[in-house]
Amino acid sequence: MKKITLLAVLLSVLLLLAGCTGGRTIIVGTQTFTETKILGYMYKYLIEDQSDINVKVKTDLLSTPFIINAMKENEIQMGTVYTGEIYNGWFPVEPTKDPKKTLAQAKQGFNKYHGIMWMDPLGFENTYAFTVRKDVAEKYNLKKISDLQSLAQNMKLGVDTSWLERKNDGYKAFTKTYGLSFGQVYPMEINLVYTAVESKDVDIVLAYSSDPRIKEFNLVTLEDDRKFFPPYLASTIMLNEALKQYPEIERAVKPLQGKIDLDTIRTLNAKVDLEKKDPQAVAEEYLKQQGLLK
Amino acid sequence: MEKYAQVFVERWHDLYSALIEHIILSASAVLLGCLVAIPLGTFLAKTSIGWVRSLSFTIANIFQTIPSLALLAILIPLLGIGTTPAILALFLYSLMPILQNTYSGFQSIDPGIIEAAKAVGYSSSQRLFKIELPLAIRYIMSGIRLTTVYIISWATLATVIGAGGLGELIVGGLSVYDKPLIFASAVLAMVLALAVDFVLSLFEKKLTKRENSKQNFA
Repeated sequence: MKKITLLAVLLSVLLLLAGCTGGRTIIVGTQTFTETKILGYMYKYLIEDQSDINVKVKTDLLSTPFIINAMKENEIQMGTVYTGEIYNGWFPVEPTKDPKKTLAQAKQGFNKYHGIMWMDPLGFENTYAFTVRKDVAEKYNLKKISDLQSLAQNMKLGVDTSWLERKNDGYKAFTKTYGLSFGQVYPMEINLVYTAVESKDVDIVLAYSSDPRIKEFNLVTLEDDRKFFPPYLASTIMLNEALKQYPEIERAVKPLQGKIDLDTIRTLNAKVDLEKKDPQAVAEEYLKQQGLLK
Repeated sequence: MEKYAQVFVERWHDLYSALIEHIILSASAVLLGCLVAIPLGTFLAKTSIGWVRSLSFTIANIFQTIPSLALLAILIPLLGIGTTPAILALFLYSLMPILQNTYSGFQSIDPGIIEAAKAVGYSSSQRLFKIELPLAIRYIMSGIRLTTVYIISWATLATVIGAGGLGELIVGGLSVYDKPLIFASAVLAMVLALAVDFVLSLFEKKLTKRENSKQNFA
C-alpha cells in the first residue's frame, strides 16, 4: 500500500514538472549585435502584452545561420534576420540585387525548405559596409571599394567571425568580384571591430551599416561600386510550427513592420552601444513612446 | 562522411596556416610561462620569507580563476586586439601549474642529499644546477606538459579578439554551421596537443635518463 502511495506521489510530481516545461512559452533568439537584442525584447513586450504566452529572449547566439539552425531544431521560435541571408546556401536562389526579388525569394525559400515564416521587413537595412578612419580616407582619397586596388595588399582588415566562411557574399566571392585581397584579415567578435580600427590595430573594417559607432568613430563608408553585397533588409522570422500553435504572435509583432527606419534603429543602437543602456529598457521605452505599449 | 575527409584537402591551406598560428600562440605563452615560473618557483622553494611565497601563489592562483573570455576582454583596453593580448592571457594561465610543480619538485628533494653535497664542498650554485634541478626536473616537466596541453585547447578562444589560430576556423565554421570544418580544426587542435605532449614526454625521458646514468656513474 505504502509503495503505491509513493508511486502516485512520484507520478504526480513528474506530471507537474512536465506541465511546467510544456507551458505556453516561446523563445526568441538574438545574435551578438545590439539591434537584434532590442528587437527581441520588443517582440517579448508586445507578445506578453497581448497574450498569455511567456517569451524568453536568448541573447548572443553566434550568428544568423546559427539562429536559423536553432530554429529548425525548434530550440528557438523567433528571431531577426536579413534578406541577404538567402545567399548563404540555404536553398537554390537566383542571384539578384533587387531588394524586392531578394525578399520574395527569402519568403518562399525559407517557407518551402525550412518551415520558417519570413515576415515583411521592419523598415531598415543592415548590410556589410567597408569603412576606414577619416584620416585614411583623406590621405588616399578613398571613396569606393575599387579605390583600394593598390592599397589592399598592405592593409589589415577586421571582420566578424562569419564573413570569411560565407560562401556567396563572403571573402572568396568578394576577391573574385573586386579582384583585390587584403594583406592580413583578422576575424573577431563584431563588437570589437570598431575599437580595433579606431585604435589603429586594423586599417579597415567590414562594419554593419546600422551600427552607430560608424558615426561616433568618424568612420568613412566606402561605396560598394560593383554592387557586391546583396540587400540586407531586416525581417522578423518565426517557426511555422510555433505559429500554428500560437497564431497570436504574428498579430502581436505586426505593428513593427515597416515602422523602424535606419535612423530609428541607429538611434536605438546608440542608446545601448554608446550610452550603455540595457537593450530591454531601450525596447520598452521605444514601444511606450510609440504608443504600442501602455 | 566523405565531406569530413575532403575538408582536410580542400581547406588544407587555411588549416595549415591556422595550425602554425596556433603553435606560435601556445608556444610563446608556455615559453614565457617557463621563463617566469621556473626561476620563480625555484626562488620560492629556497626563500625563507613566507609571505612572498604565499603572495606569489595567491596571485598565480587568481589568474588561474579568471574566466578566459573575461581575461581576454580585460586585456583589450590595455593591449588592443590580436596576438599580443592573447599570448599574455595564455601566459598568465600557464604560470600556476609550472610554478606549483617547480616548487613541489624542490620540496621533494631529500634534505640529506643537500647536506651531503654541502659536506663535499659544493657551492650553492653547483648544488642548484648539478643536484637540485636534475632531481626536480621530473616535476617541472610534468608541469610544463600539463600546461601545454591545456594552453593548446584554450588558445582556440583567442580568435574572438582577432588572434587567429585554429579557433578562427572553429568559430567561423560554427558561424556558418560548417560541420566538417569545425571537425577538421578540432581534430588538428587535438592532434597538436597529443603530439606536443608526446614529444615533451620523450624529452622528459631523455633528461631524466641522462641524470640517472650520471648519478650511477658518480
